[in-house]
Amino acid sequence: MLVSRQKLIFLLPGLLVLVAIIIFPLLFTIRVSFSSWDVMYPGLDWIGGKNYSRLFSDSRFWESLQRLAGIAVGTVVIEYLLGFGLALLVWKEVRYKRFFRVLFLVPMMTTPVIMSVIWRTIFHESLGPLNNILGFLGLGQVPWLSTAGMAVVSVMMVEIWQWTPFMFLLLLAGLLSLPKEPFQAAAIDGAGPFRTFFMVTFPLMAPISIGTLIIRLIEASKIMETVYVLTSGGPGTATETSSYYIYIRGLRDFQIGYAASLSVTYLVLMILALTILAKFLVRAFISKDKA
Amino acid sequence: MAKIDLNGVGHCYSGKPEKLEDFALRPMNHSWDHGRAYALLGPSGCGKTTLLNIISGLIRPSEGRVLFGGVDVTDQPTAKRNIAQVFQFPVIYKNVTVYNNLAFPLRCRKLPADEIDRKVREVARLLNLTEQLKSSAARLSADAKQLISLGRGLVRNDVAALLLDEPLTVIDPHLKWLLRRKLKEINDTYNQTMVLVTHDQNEALTFAEKVVVMQAGQIVQVGTAQELFENPRHTFVGYFIGSPAMNFMPCRLDGNAVKVGEERISLPELATVDVPPEGKVEIGIRPEFLKLEHDASPDTLEVPILNVRDLGNFRIATVRFAGHDLKIKIPEARPIPSEKGFLRFPRQWTKLYVDDVLREPAGA
Repeated sequence: MLVSRQKLIFLLPGLLVLVAIIIFPLLFTIRVSFSSWDVMYPGLDWIGGKNYSRLFSDSRFWESLQRLAGIAVGTVVIEYLLGFGLALLVWKEVRYKRFFRVLFLVPMMTTPVIMSVIWRTIFHESLGPLNNILGFLGLGQVPWLSTAGMAVVSVMMVEIWQWTPFMFLLLLAGLLSLPKEPFQAAAIDGAGPFRTFFMVTFPLMAPISIGTLIIRLIEASKIMETVYVLTSGGPGTATETSSYYIYIRGLRDFQIGYAASLSVTYLVLMILALTILAKFLVRAFISKDKA
Repeated sequence: MAKIDLNGVGHCYSGKPEKLEDFALRPMNHSWDHGRAYALLGPSGCGKTTLLNIISGLIRPSEGRVLFGGVDVTDQPTAKRNIAQVFQFPVIYKNVTVYNNLAFPLRCRKLPADEIDRKVREVARLLNLTEQLKSSAARLSADAKQLISLGRGLVRNDVAALLLDEPLTVIDPHLKWLLRRKLKEINDTYNQTMVLVTHDQNEALTFAEKVVVMQAGQIVQVGTAQELFENPRHTFVGYFIGSPAMNFMPCRLDGNAVKVGEERISLPELATVDVPPEGKVEIGIRPEFLKLEHDASPDTLEVPILNVRDLGNFRIATVRFAGHDLKIKIPEARPIPSEKGFLRFPRQWTKLYVDDVLREPAGA
């Protein structure tokens, strides 16, 4: 009895902090989502599930969610492929290995908002250097931020540029921690580089790959500053992601109650989606050969 | 199928070696005859794995040449050397079945499917893996995984030598014995050269026809179990092989006797050995060969008995001689004197070492 009370006393400070910074805001958001709190009538009234029924018919929210899924999965997959490729390049003995390792990490050391401003300048259709270079190469001008498709591509490019180093870093750490015997065994068995990669490197890297992909998917699903600075969700709503749409409803239109219901729905969907994705990744990476 | 020759092979992991101590493996000449079972025995860090990796081509030696059947393969990659190697910890392709694991080396060599199938099933039968052929390799026990590693070496027809780098470490004692027997069986069936790296003397002595003993990056003796036991050519072999270890005592030669401290042991043959003035001189005798008698005779020396340990079918007596504690292994049936006894050094089994190396009298 005394022991369990002592345990509780030791746990209490941590629990209080947890309640204060996570549980309370979450519960408060849930409560707010059942109110009509907005700029005209601030306050915690009770309107039942009206915000949620409005949400189900809000096609802009569901479109933003689909867009987010596309952008997040697309960028993370490309980041993974690029990060793995770069990690494989500097994993083995190559010249200037240390220099390249530091070089590949530079984007991660920069501030995302500032880099988004710089990228907006680079993508600028008349003043940006990118179109100048394309024009110089005879490839013509590209409307980077003013057409729907290219704006999505631009957002993805900046995200990939910013976050590939993170993938690279984790995957390189994974590669460096692999045991050498499986590679020696593959060499003795007569496997070439491709067979070695698919039979040894990739399966051994599976747990690290799954972890890295999930961490990045969680991060990528929160994409906000790049969209805010680069396109402000435009043109139209072409690059509007869920978090940006919630920001518009909550902090631009001050529909606090409705934004809270969007946030709660978004949180539940994210938990579900990431859990399913994690299971899918485990199955995809750690496949059992039944032949 | 070929004889493997190491001509002046040595290896240093850190750049250019300046002195002999810089070598992980000191330059050596050695030949491995075709079809024989060898054990490479030595303590951890003595260069056994380095030597094995040089033979398999995983390491290119910093000095010397490696020859397979007289052909220089020093610069050939591992895949072209026709070597199979089993590592200390089981190495399997964990995403595929046992069948696909065994088939892998043959697929890499682009053999026809029917031949792959025949060979895989033959090796699976030999290793008792037929039942598990369709199972995922990752789900098997450590010893079954180790059998798969071994099987990947056996499926190939082109294997000149099977190198086994402490493959029984992860196996439990009973299975270890079975697997060792299986290895012997494979050696007889396929007539492949086998080199088993181990630091376990029992494993080495029961498996191999010839044991290669290594210490500090060099081969100190090559011989059969009996040769290593009866005639250790280096003090290290005396310490490392046999339990308890060989008794060694510093000595000097005096007329036709060997003098340990103030005690004189009459050993006229050994006294004829030419000993350099500043060399470290020791006599050594195995506890099995040292005699503890009840009664004095002209060639015995009186010693106090410090203790006797009963180890079942034999006992180990510790006696004090010229300031040294000597162990004597005595069969269970033989009575042991109490408190004091008379020590006899049989001439045949008493060895003289100068700077750790056996020196035999002329004509021995």
